[in-house]
Amino acid sequence: MSVALPIPLIQLLQVLTVAVGAPGVTGVIAKVEARLQGRRGPRIAQPYYDLAKLFRKEALAPEGASWFFLAAPVIAVAAYLTIPLLIPVLTSYPLPLGYMGDILGGGFLLSLASFVVATAALETGSPYAQLGSSRAKTFSAITEPVVLFVVFTVALLTGTDLPYALAATVRSSAGQVIRPAHLLAATALFMVILHETGRIPVETHSGTNEFGMIEEARAFEHSGPYFALLKWGSELKQLILFIILADVFLAPWGLAATQKAGAVVLAIAALLAKAVAVGCVVAVIDNSFAKLRLFKITEFVSAAFLLAVLGVFTLYLGGG
Amino acid sequence: MSLASTVPAAPGVYVGAANVIAAVMLLIEFGMLRQALARDQVRLYAAQSALISVLAVVIAADRNLPDLYVLAALSAGLKVVAVPLVLRRLLPATADEEEAAGVAGSQTVSPATAVLAGIVLAAFGFFSFGGLHVHGRAAPATALAIAAAMMLVAFGLMIVRRDVASQAIGFLALENSISLAALVVAAGLPLILETAFLFDLLVAIVVFGMLIRAHHARAESLSTADLTRLQG
Repeated sequence: MSVALPIPLIQLLQVLTVAVGAPGVTGVIAKVEARLQGRRGPRIAQPYYDLAKLFRKEALAPEGASWFFLAAPVIAVAAYLTIPLLIPVLTSYPLPLGYMGDILGGGFLLSLASFVVATAALETGSPYAQLGSSRAKTFSAITEPVVLFVVFTVALLTGTDLPYALAATVRSSAGQVIRPAHLLAATALFMVILHETGRIPVETHSGTNEFGMIEEARAFEHSGPYFALLKWGSELKQLILFIILADVFLAPWGLAATQKAGAVVLAIAALLAKAVAVGCVVAVIDNSFAKLRLFKITEFVSAAFLLAVLGVFTLYLGGG
Repeated sequence: MSLASTVPAAPGVYVGAANVIAAVMLLIEFGMLRQALARDQVRLYAAQSALISVLAVVIAADRNLPDLYVLAALSAGLKVVAVPLVLRRLLPATADEEEAAGVAGSQTVSPATAVLAGIVLAAFGFFSFGGLHVHGRAAPATALAIAAAMMLVAFGLMIVRRDVASQAIGFLALENSISLAALVVAAGLPLILETAFLFDLLVAIVVFGMLIRAHHARAESLSTADLTRLQG
């Protein structure tokens, strides 16, 4: 297994790993969650079957909805599939397109995807879809400062805001891991991820009660392949956020350092294992806490904000 | 790796660990600020006190100060076991009783606002002490700035809560932050002096115990809300 893979192929593999792996990671989390609740749970491949079924179905659009309603899911998935080019998914060395955008670039793509989905939900005129997109935008506005402070921490730690640079910094010594700024920023990011992926304590992702919904409600009016794209998109978003947490902040080990085929295959396995590990933690949290009331979400976000701000403070004092 | 070479060096594992412990202590302080029930606050206080003992052990091991082991043990015995026990004896036992005594829900501002105000206080503490550039030989200077932030947040806790119990806990947390500052600037202090300071805490507990009892006897509640009226 010492065949060296060409760089463009590795770059393509990054996107493919995320695209193909995302429903599987969701399936594993659902399985773990079911086991924790004493149920047998759906099979791990269930999300793939769901997607396959939806892709075969007829698509309908509400009367009066414009072309944007149908274009939005496609734009969202395209945005999600661009992000794996920017972050260290398989390799510890930057790939040519890796410097196309920094962390903010990745953040813009994530918000673009969320924005087009929210706008498409507004197109429908359905009250629940509109409620969902309004709430999603409100709460993403209050989590934005947390993300910004996490980015500031990264910038102060590395002098750049490139994901590859932070991963390299964290790998460089144990002192870079055990420092308050790094740990605080990573925890704040984890809380943001809980919020962004619609997990407890912010949202029940598997609930059917519309009044508690935030992100889930936005896809109410989509059907068929377009709904499949939205579902796949949220699975992609979840895996991408897990990768950012695992490969950039918490455990940037196990990435391929060379172009050898064996190393890359090992990196794919390590990546999926790390994502599943993060997913298991999320599933445990899902099962041990209650959902916060909608008006209490600000308290959750203020706690994340506190962590991120303290990270920047300790860095400014030179010792963080 | 060329990427990592331009990076400013990390402070090192020992300093990092000490700073992390100090930062977690500050976070626990914020936890007390937003916690509604007094017995949860006592639990957090015990956790914070346990951390300061851990920090003392870390400093003792790294800086070769055997006195600190004794201090850590004494401080753990007193602040992790004795003080929380006494406090729990003094306070209402259940959530319902706490509600009746006016401990639960005695916040004057919402928890999110309290945390934001706490961040502002902490920032002031951080930068005013960070600017002093005090370097002890034991713990890092960042821990001193964190101790200053903790002091101000403890004052904030005593201000935003309207019940005697939280104010007592705020005072005890204040003492914890001063212990942290003492570990940073004067870890080599003679043991007898440190122990004397520690036992001052017992006096404080007795005073607060009497205050809580007296207030409860007079007002039949732990809330300070009805103390605003002047009595002739």
